[in-house]
Amino acid sequence: MLPENFAYALTQVVHNFGAVAVLGSAVFALLVPVAVPERVARLAAAGWVLQIASGAAFGGVSFYYYGRLPDLHTIAASALAVKLACAAGGLVLTLALAARGRVWAATRRRAAWWAVAALAAAALTAAAFLRWFA
Amino acid sequence: MDRLMKILSLALPLSLALTPAPGEAAEALVKITAPAEGAKLDSMALTKLVYEVRPGPKGDHVHVYVDGKEVGILRQLKGSYTLEALAPGSRSICVKVVNKAHVPIGVEQCVKVAVE
Repeated sequence: MLPENFAYALTQVVHNFGAVAVLGSAVFALLVPVAVPERVARLAAAGWVLQIASGAAFGGVSFYYYGRLPDLHTIAASALAVKLACAAGGLVLTLALAARGRVWAATRRRAAWWAVAALAAAALTAAAFLRWFA
Repeated sequence: MDRLMKILSLALPLSLALTPAPGEAAEALVKITAPAEGAKLDSMALTKLVYEVRPGPKGDHVHVYVDGKEVGILRQLKGSYTLEALAPGSRSICVKVVNKAHVPIGVEQCVKVAVE
């Protein structure tokens, strides 16, 4: 087994769990009334941070082993841009939910969680295009 | 600390066992059969790229480039790919072996053609 494959695989593990955290937290927040909603928001924010960090790590592993970043087709580059936008939006929203969610109106809080879920779903969809159209 | 040493002592022999011995995996290569180097192509016709690839231990699939821009992804190791109409002028067509993360591993072949 090549060490670079191991590095890519470990990065993928983190990326996958980050994806589970961002979508799972949002769905959980929408379906289950919880006593401390800030914790769910913090978990989702941590998921987005993992997504961003592991996404950058993919590039880092490539750069470490080959001195360059992956070659991306236009479709894949567009998918990556979508993922980055989703991650930025998702992180801002979940940080806001963690900090101010408790004082928001229930409808506003719910709309924010729907937006987080939509951003997570969009990021996951874009990931498939990034994987297979690169 | 003891636990870490125990994990490392198990992981190291395992990683060595899974590492291919030198010469075990075939060398990577790319061969472009058509178009030939220096070929004159018709800008109105579609160009068929015929290639053969051996990805080697680090490669996974190949990317096709025209003048440095990625235009296609080939997952077959031998075959052909129809390029979209090329603009008139001198063009460089390259086939590069990339890894699973789409990073060129340094194995490639390019041909220069004249499109009229």
